[in-house]
Amino acid sequence: MSKGGKSDQEEGEENMAAWLVGLNTLKIQPFKLPPLGPHDVRVRMKAVGICGSDVHFLKTLRLADFVVKEPMVIGHECAGIIEEIGSEVKNLVPGDRVALEPGIGCWRCDLCKEGRYNICPDMKFFATPPVHGSLARQVVHPADLCFKLPDNLSLEEGAMCEPLSVAVHACRRANIGPETNVLVMGAGPIGLVTLLAARAFGAPRIVIVDVDDYRLSVANNLGADGVVKVSTNMQDIPEEVERICEVMGAVGVHVTFDCAGFNKTMSTALSATRAGGKVCLVGLGHNEMTVPLTPAATREVDIIGIFRYKNTWPLCIELLRSGKIDVKPLITHRFGFSQKEVEEAFETSARGGDAIKVMFNL
Amino acid sequence: MGKGGKSHEETKSGEDENMAAWLVGLNTLKIQPFKLPPLGPHDARVRMKAVGICGSDVHYLKRMRCADFVVKEPMVIGHECAGIIEEVGSEVKNLVPGDRVALEPGISCWRCDLCKDGRYNLCPEMKFFATPPVHGSLAHQVVHPADLCFKLPDNVSLEEGAMCEPLSVGVHACRRANIGPETNVLVMGAGPIGLVTMMAARAFGAPRIVIVDVDDNRLSVAKNLGADGIVKVSTNMQDVAEEVERICKAMGGGVDVSFDCAGFNKTMSTALSATCAGGRVCLVGMGHHEMTVPLTPAAAREVDVIGIFRYRNTWPLCIEFLRSGKIDVKPLITHRFGFSQKEVEEAFETSAGGGSAIKVMFNL
Repeated sequence: MSKGGKSDQEEGEENMAAWLVGLNTLKIQPFKLPPLGPHDVRVRMKAVGICGSDVHFLKTLRLADFVVKEPMVIGHECAGIIEEIGSEVKNLVPGDRVALEPGIGCWRCDLCKEGRYNICPDMKFFATPPVHGSLARQVVHPADLCFKLPDNLSLEEGAMCEPLSVAVHACRRANIGPETNVLVMGAGPIGLVTLLAARAFGAPRIVIVDVDDYRLSVANNLGADGVVKVSTNMQDIPEEVERICEVMGAVGVHVTFDCAGFNKTMSTALSATRAGGKVCLVGLGHNEMTVPLTPAATREVDIIGIFRYKNTWPLCIELLRSGKIDVKPLITHRFGFSQKEVEEAFETSARGGDAIKVMFNL
Repeated sequence: MGKGGKSHEETKSGEDENMAAWLVGLNTLKIQPFKLPPLGPHDARVRMKAVGICGSDVHYLKRMRCADFVVKEPMVIGHECAGIIEEVGSEVKNLVPGDRVALEPGISCWRCDLCKDGRYNLCPEMKFFATPPVHGSLAHQVVHPADLCFKLPDNVSLEEGAMCEPLSVGVHACRRANIGPETNVLVMGAGPIGLVTMMAARAFGAPRIVIVDVDDNRLSVAKNLGADGIVKVSTNMQDVAEEVERICKAMGGGVDVSFDCAGFNKTMSTALSATCAGGRVCLVGMGHHEMTVPLTPAAAREVDVIGIFRYRNTWPLCIEFLRSGKIDVKPLITHRFGFSQKEVEEAFETSAGGGSAIKVMFNL
């Protein structure tokens, strides 16, 4: 899977992909597909979204401990059409429209066997070096990680299952339900899918905060019960916590999702959450953080870590199919698959602002 | 309860005046009269027999404050206690005079959401012995709700009864952290709380327990109390990586749960790094207010941080552990003092000195 190289494919068209070849440099180049294993499928990509991590790799060639040491195909939020299936594949046929779950766990370690495969130490994940991504005309992927889309879901919505999965996983770990008032720090793409997922899980009241007015208005239109504009100044925390609690109402905040992951947002989250509540650290802003941990611990506010997702595609697809969640408003910009458009698309995504989800249509 | 004042008690039958150890100013304790409130229908009057000193008691003595709690007027100190029932209120059915009981210090409101949810330890209206402005229990007698007085079996001493309080912190932490036969445990700090946490973890079935400290003596005590491994650590942040390596080696497998019983940047950072993906770090100790720790790498491995504040519904289990011998707290009681002005001062100095003093106990 995704071990393809740069030479010509044997028959028919040459497979092309968007390669990260150096700092801030993307090139559309040939991408040789590996042979199709008995449990694999070959997928023609139709919709690929850009994630903040893709942009981060482009701009810095690294992310935490993952370093891009050689050219790598970028992209991982994707959906497409089955072209060919391996000999043992029973659940899919050519022509099926599928959304892809990017990460292949080892399926042999304790964590995988316990179902916590998202934290498998040998995880092979699209566009996390050294594993190639999926912004390509075609990829080869395990069939069990390709999920069939119902007729009423577009391929773009299929690609949106990936960011939505982060939110769904977070809502599960945080036990969101009809009695949990939710605070979301950050109204970027992840904050917004978290807002949508929390609502789908039954959260009665959801307040979202951001520094940006435009993003807050988007959040409002997507159904937030309250929006609060905040700053990047640590000194403003007590005042912001007051405003947040006022907007949330007397019962208070049961669960906070920090979808930004900075000292300010985490400190605010820890202060704003009720005794006995939870703060989910979803955003991966800083490595080391300086936060008021002890006052939170003495109110038994727990901190829950979130890393990617596990077993979320079926639920995401169902939430989209039933209309319980509508991700279409999050797709703000679309580009085709050419050298010029790939470059433009990434610049648009990196810019932030009014660009929420930038989507490639191949 | 605990609202007694300093004037003479209007005694019914010439009983002794009730005396208590009062924190009257910075570093100043005085044994003075302590007037008991009237006995309510659900209360019990208890003659104190054993009272232990907690780090928080010492902290109040030395600083007159602990986090947001400030000692603004003289306050009776002490909260780890056990004694004998002298009198019960009209509605009390579970206890009779002569019963030997261990006391759970905190009285919650029983009306708020948290109380009704069973998380009464977090009640915002909690009235807790020796947390200002509520008077403590280092006194000849106290009045306390009968439902917070737990009868001791014959084979459990009053000193062991008093030890139920610190042991409760360990038990509550083990419950919140889900300790069981498959959780390898790391304990940061071999002071009184680290040691009771280690013992509780063993009682909950933890297969392997490694404990760390900066002090050799405390590590040898831990070893004698059954630690599978001990690791000496420093107070230098630069040593974290190397210490994590030694810890994992001593564990011989992964660390599923870490209890930070010290609560400093160093201990928390070590705990977060040493704990396996998908594991938990319990913050038990309350060292610093703001902490600088590698939170994100931990979150990205789904290592959760669990907060611990006191305990709830732990006395029955603690008493059972002590009764059955699953836990033996007696070795932790290293120093004993009587209840006189001189001995009270000496006892607190001994406790504050740390080192070989683990639990300092008053026998009244």
